[in-house]
Order: sequence, then structure tokens, then C-alpha cells
Amino acid sequence: MQQVLNKEPINSSVEISKKVQKGEVILKVQDLYKSYNRGTPVLQDIQMELKQGEFISIIGPSGAGKSTFLRCINRMIDPTSGSIVFDNTEMTSLKKADLRKQRSKIGMVFQHYNLVSRLSVFENVLHGRFGYKSTLQGVFSLFSEEEKELALSILDKLGMKEFAYKRCDQLSGGQKQRVGIARALVQQPKLLLCDEPIASLDPNASKIIMDHLKDISETMGITVLVNLHQVDVALKYSDRVIGLNKGRIVYDGVPEKLSNSAIRDIYGSEIEDLILE
Amino acid sequence: MQATSSMQSNIKIRNGKIQIKTFNRSNFVLHFILSFLVLFTIVAPFFLEYGAIDIQTAIFYTLDNLKMMFLQPALSQVTLTAALYQILITLALAFLSTLIGAVISFFLAILSAKNLMPSYISNVIIAFNSFIRAVPTVLWVLIFAIVAGLGSVAAILGMTLHTIAYLTKAYAESFEEIDNGMIEALRATGAKWWHIIIHVVLPQTSSYMVSWTFLRFETNYGVAIAMGAAAAAGGIGFELFMASSFYYDLHEVGMITYFALIIALILEFISIRIKNKLIGSKS
Repeated sequence: MQQVLNKEPINSSVEISKKVQKGEVILKVQDLYKSYNRGTPVLQDIQMELKQGEFISIIGPSGAGKSTFLRCINRMIDPTSGSIVFDNTEMTSLKKADLRKQRSKIGMVFQHYNLVSRLSVFENVLHGRFGYKSTLQGVFSLFSEEEKELALSILDKLGMKEFAYKRCDQLSGGQKQRVGIARALVQQPKLLLCDEPIASLDPNASKIIMDHLKDISETMGITVLVNLHQVDVALKYSDRVIGLNKGRIVYDGVPEKLSNSAIRDIYGSEIEDLILE
Repeated sequence: MQATSSMQSNIKIRNGKIQIKTFNRSNFVLHFILSFLVLFTIVAPFFLEYGAIDIQTAIFYTLDNLKMMFLQPALSQVTLTAALYQILITLALAFLSTLIGAVISFFLAILSAKNLMPSYISNVIIAFNSFIRAVPTVLWVLIFAIVAGLGSVAAILGMTLHTIAYLTKAYAESFEEIDNGMIEALRATGAKWWHIIIHVVLPQTSSYMVSWTFLRFETNYGVAIAMGAAAAAGGIGFELFMASSFYYDLHEVGMITYFALIIALILEFISIRIKNKLIGSKS
């Protein structure tokens, strides 16, 4: 067993980073617009280019459209208009099977972890491989040994290998989130979307999760796009910060240049002392 | 301000008193029916003909019959092995209809769960189901008896149909309890619809489904006894019918009742054990 685990997985995520040149544009969003029931727009005039291996935080008040934006990228929510080009493929026009294929290249991490609580950690992580499976293969859980080794090596990397056979409802919040990240990584994604990954965690667990996410973007070359509520966390970890307010991008740049007035633009004037805490 | 002015004009006053309730149709109908029922209950006994009945003897004979049934149970027409065999047949009727019903219900429940299917499909199934559930099981069995003839086939068809309607609703409701986030997470990985059914819906709801299915099995056991008598489906119900209506053997009726009761108690015991086990594994 130990021998098997020490072996380098056959197609690990590290290999993807070799194929894609560092700094190549992985996601290009143009004129993205979204409104529900033709009401007030949730997102408008969104322009964005994400490069491979970047760590980007999206900050903004509740209801600014952060979650909607993330879900528009992998089409969990259909945008009203605009263009999203991910990995040289236009996402907005994709039909079922092609959409599935593209989605398998985008990992997603959730605030409430969204693990199947009655199943083991190992089973939950392997769920990330369904995007590569036919209906029957998936239904009967036919995973190859390589896939299992990949799952275990990722769990090992996140420090969760000893919990592989534990049921997910017996884990703590931070452990659950690490399983959630493992499930996303086992997809061997090029882009990792994280929707408030630390909003339900204590400071200690939050640090562990953010450190892992940072490590993923640096060593695996996976672009990490994180929705955050905590400005200080965003400033500390990000290569780039995007400020969203009322569905518009009001700031896009390096965290060092995020001035107090920019924060006021993002959050509104009444919380301008937010960053001083 | 508008509220106060409208309130003043809204207040109903009758005979100089402020009315607390306003007149509306459904209230009126409800009151009418209730007062009619009360009146009927009070008046009706005076119109019954008691002439032929001697109350004292009637009570005496009833108690005597109950004594024969439950204090002196005995088998005369059927042997003990035959009785046990007949109980097995009744259990088999209940088991078969529950099993077939449960399998079909699982697929129908997937189609009728609002979080898994578009609402126009689920609404059709839900409407159809409530129609089936509204008709009693016995009636369904008799309807199927037209094509299948009175007997076990009609009984199983009727019981299965009612089981399907019942379990589909129960399963679908437990499916709808699932946290949508789990389904979302798997859709985001590119998983197919069947992957989500098997790897999210099934593990999350299996314990509920088992306990609902067992509850329905107990109900079907009771129905199967009745079907033995009412639809000649065989089993212990038929022996009970013969003993009571053909041989007038109250000792045997008592004995058979005890048998049926013991089996029902065993089923109840097993179901409690299963439930406890499932609840235990939840934590």
C-alpha cells in the first residue's frame, strides 16, 4: 500500500502546468451581463482576463454578485449575455456533453463544503472524477487504480490521508473543506473556483485552507479564483484583487495598490475603517 | 392613516355590538355541518327500533363470545402447521407487493422529486398518485379482480398499486430534503444525472427509504389479511373468514387472531430494531 502511494501518479496535475505555458490566459470574460427575470442586473459589463497560475480574490459586499459571477463561469448559472472563453472554448454556447467536459476542467469549492455526508472521504474525493466517466462507469464506481492513487496522493498532500475511510459527517469544518478541495483537485482542473471557502471556518482552519489554496496556485499552476469576505485575507494571499460592487468591477489590480478610497468604492463609505481592524 | 380610516368603515356592527368575526362562506358551511352532526347524534337514538333486543342478554352474549374467542382459543378446522403455512402465504403477499412497489416507487420518486426533475413532470406524477391513494386498497383489489379474477393475483396487483402511490410520495419527500449544495457540487464536477442519483440521492436517503418501506410492509401485512377474506387471496385471512362465517367457530377465530397478532408484534419489533440501527449510524 505504502509503496503504491509513494509512486508518482501517472497523470498528476503537475503535468498540466508543463503543457500550458506560465502566464497564458486561461479565462477571458467579456461584456458579461446577468439579470434575473429582466430585473435589475446582478452583473454588468464584466471584463476580466485570468492567467494561468494566478491567485485572484474577488471582494465585495453581500449581494454584489460574487457568487453569481463564479457560477456563470462554469455555467451553473447561465449568463444573460456576454462571452466567457475558458481554455480556448466559448462556454456560453456549449451544449450538454461539451459543457460537462469543460466543467470537469473547472474545480469548485463551496462555503458549506457540499460533501455527501453519509459517504467516506475517499468516496467524496473520487466524485471529482465523474466528469471523465460514462454513465455506467460512474454509476458502478468503476475507478482505475491510477485515479485512486491520484485521489490518495492529493489527500496526502492536504494532510487528510489518514481520514480516507472516515465518514464525512464525522469531520470538522476545516477537514471537510480540505476534502472539498481534494474533490476539486482530483478533477485535475485548470481553474479552481472557491465560493467563500473560509466563511464558515475559525481563523486557524481558515489559515490552513488559504495556505493550501495558495500552494495549489503556486506549485500546481492552477488558477485560483476566490470569493472572499475578509479583506485582510484577500490582501495577504492574492496576486490580484478584484473589487465588485452592485455587479460592476470597481477595482482590478495588485493588492498593494488597493487604497482606502478603493475599499470605500467597493464596500461603501460607512465601512471605510474595515481594513484597519 | 389609510389603515385607520379603512378600519373604521370595515368594522361590522350588528344589534349595536361589534362583531369579532366576519361572515364568510367556508365558516358558514363548517358551522352548518357541525350543528347538523350534533343534532343528528342527539336525535337519532330515539328513532332506533330496540324492540327485538334484550340489552341485558345482548351484553351477556357479547361477553361470552369474546370469552370464547380470546380466553379459550383453539384450532379445530385447521392444523397448527396449516395455520403457520397460511400465515407464511399472507406474509408472502405483503412482501411481494411491498418489494415490487418499492422498486417501481424508487424510479417514480426520482421523477416526482421537485429538486431532480422539472415541475411539469413531477406535478403529473403527484396528481396521478394522489388519485390512486384516494381510492382504498380493497377497492383497487376488486377492480383488478375484474381482469385477474378474485385471488392472489388481483390482491397483489391492487396492493402493489397502492404501495407505489404511497411510497413514491414518501421517497420523493425524502429526496427533496437533500441539501441542494451536494447536487450542485456534483453538477459542477461535470457529473451526469445518474451519477448524482446513485452517489448523492441514494446514500443520503437510504435510511429513510428503508424505514418507510418497512412501515409500508407492516401496513401491507394487515391489508393482506383483509384481502384473504375479501378477495379470496388465500393466507390466514381466508382461514379467518372461513372460521367466522362458514364454521361459526369462535375458538378458532380467537386462535387465528392471536397468530396474526404475534406476527404483527414480531414485525413491529424488527422495524424498531432497524430504525434504531439506522438512527444510530446517522451520528
